[in-house]
Amino acid sequence: MIAELFYRRQALILGTLSMVGLVVLWQIAVDGGFINPFFISTPSQVWAEFVVQFEDGQVAANVGATLYCFAWSMGLATVAGILLGMLAGWFSDVEAALEPFIWFKYSAPTVAFYPLFVAWLGYGTPTIIAIAFLFALTPIYANTLSGIKNTDRDLARAARSFGAKPYDIFFRVALPGSVPVMMAGLRLGVGRALTGVVVAELFGANAGLGYAITYYGQLMQTTRMMVSIVIVILLGVILTQILSFLESKTDSWRTDTGR
Amino acid sequence: MAQIEIRDLGIDYRKPKSDEVFSAVDGVALSVEKGEFVTIVGSSGCGKSTLLMAVAGLVALSRGSIRIDGKDVTGPGPDRAVVFQEASLLPWRSVRGNVKFGLEMQRWSGGNLDEQAMQMIRLVGLGRFSDYQPHQLSGGMRQRVNIARALAVDPEVLLMDEPFGALDAQTREIMGTELLRIWERDKKTALFVTHDIDEAIFLADKIVVMGRNPGHIKEVIKVDLPRPRDEEVLDSEDFHNLRKRLRAHLAEDMSSMQLVQEVA
Repeated sequence: MIAELFYRRQALILGTLSMVGLVVLWQIAVDGGFINPFFISTPSQVWAEFVVQFEDGQVAANVGATLYCFAWSMGLATVAGILLGMLAGWFSDVEAALEPFIWFKYSAPTVAFYPLFVAWLGYGTPTIIAIAFLFALTPIYANTLSGIKNTDRDLARAARSFGAKPYDIFFRVALPGSVPVMMAGLRLGVGRALTGVVVAELFGANAGLGYAITYYGQLMQTTRMMVSIVIVILLGVILTQILSFLESKTDSWRTDTGR
Repeated sequence: MAQIEIRDLGIDYRKPKSDEVFSAVDGVALSVEKGEFVTIVGSSGCGKSTLLMAVAGLVALSRGSIRIDGKDVTGPGPDRAVVFQEASLLPWRSVRGNVKFGLEMQRWSGGNLDEQAMQMIRLVGLGRFSDYQPHQLSGGMRQRVNIARALAVDPEVLLMDEPFGALDAQTREIMGTELLRIWERDKKTALFVTHDIDEAIFLADKIVVMGRNPGHIKEVIKVDLPRPRDEEVLDSEDFHNLRKRLRAHLAEDMSSMQLVQEVA
């Protein structure tokens, strides 16, 4: 029975084991004197420091600041990405007009715009939101675009045979058919938005997880820095998991359309 | 006057990424009486589906005309409904949702949508499955949904484009019998495209045999087998004779196709 349970949850169990193994190895490597704790700290120290930072309110302040910027950038990117993606997916002229910007976005690092945003918006929240918005925009736009553009021709034709007007085909065929692909775009966007917020915070902020990482990093206080790094990782995993869950809810019908 | 009147029909396609034009259908003339069940057979590439899609108003005509009840076909209309191959059901909608889809698109105002849909779902024998999603159904059941969707809008003419083409032989036979049972209710004018000879004979009052290059009508064969029909018809002598005749037609087409391939 245990064996059966193991096979059913093999991926989850193995993944958990390797994570736990890494943490144990990390602790042993430092405790055994193989690695200088200055470079990497230890799990037990990070945990103790986490409790301290949690109790003095630093964790709440930093997570709050980061999530605030995340929510704004992700919200704006969702609205803009889906609207632009729908327009570009439906009207090939719009797609052609937007194409060069997408090339720039794929080939040039978004962070390069950072100084420009600082010049426009100053250091702090608005610039962080702007950078994270650009990070998240591309996958949301690109997925919405491909979802609408790749609308099943057979379905569109069937709809037309019943007298569907173009807007019927858009709202009743193209849009519902694109939801799963749009959700996948949002899932990718969430990870990108969080990355964008943290990266922008590294450069210039007075709160947030990225700010805490640079702040303690510059002071060479590895343990304190590690607390925020670990929180960022957990936050990313949790947010992406939430989106994965929502995604799986919307595409149940896609599971075996290949038949 | 015949219900469907096709005259000098020609449909040309431009080959993708070139200026070359080829004719999918040329010089087609056909009349179909009200209540007639007409099957269209021919080997692949003979333009039989193109012809059907033109009657549906989904393909532009290059020459000639198609009239239904005296009115020129210029696009899809509520007087016609099409049964497509399996893939044309909306995968995110339930059986009921799919059957309602055609009614919604036509802004149907003949009463309660749900009731109308359920009535058709029961007619095709899927009463218990109205809340199932297409991916939970077998191929035969999906085609029943497709038929129910077309019948729900109560068209004058029912157009079917190889609706059972993707089904296995046994299911295909059952579906043919089912289709006739449903059709016998109100005997709607029907155009049914197939490449299966037995299916073409079994369903038809009239068989239109098409040939290739460009797609044209080779012969129209009247079928006088008694109705209502069941599988026993398949063993009758008339049926065998018709089958022989159709085989000869299609064999002719196949050999000319092989010749083209050899030359190429």
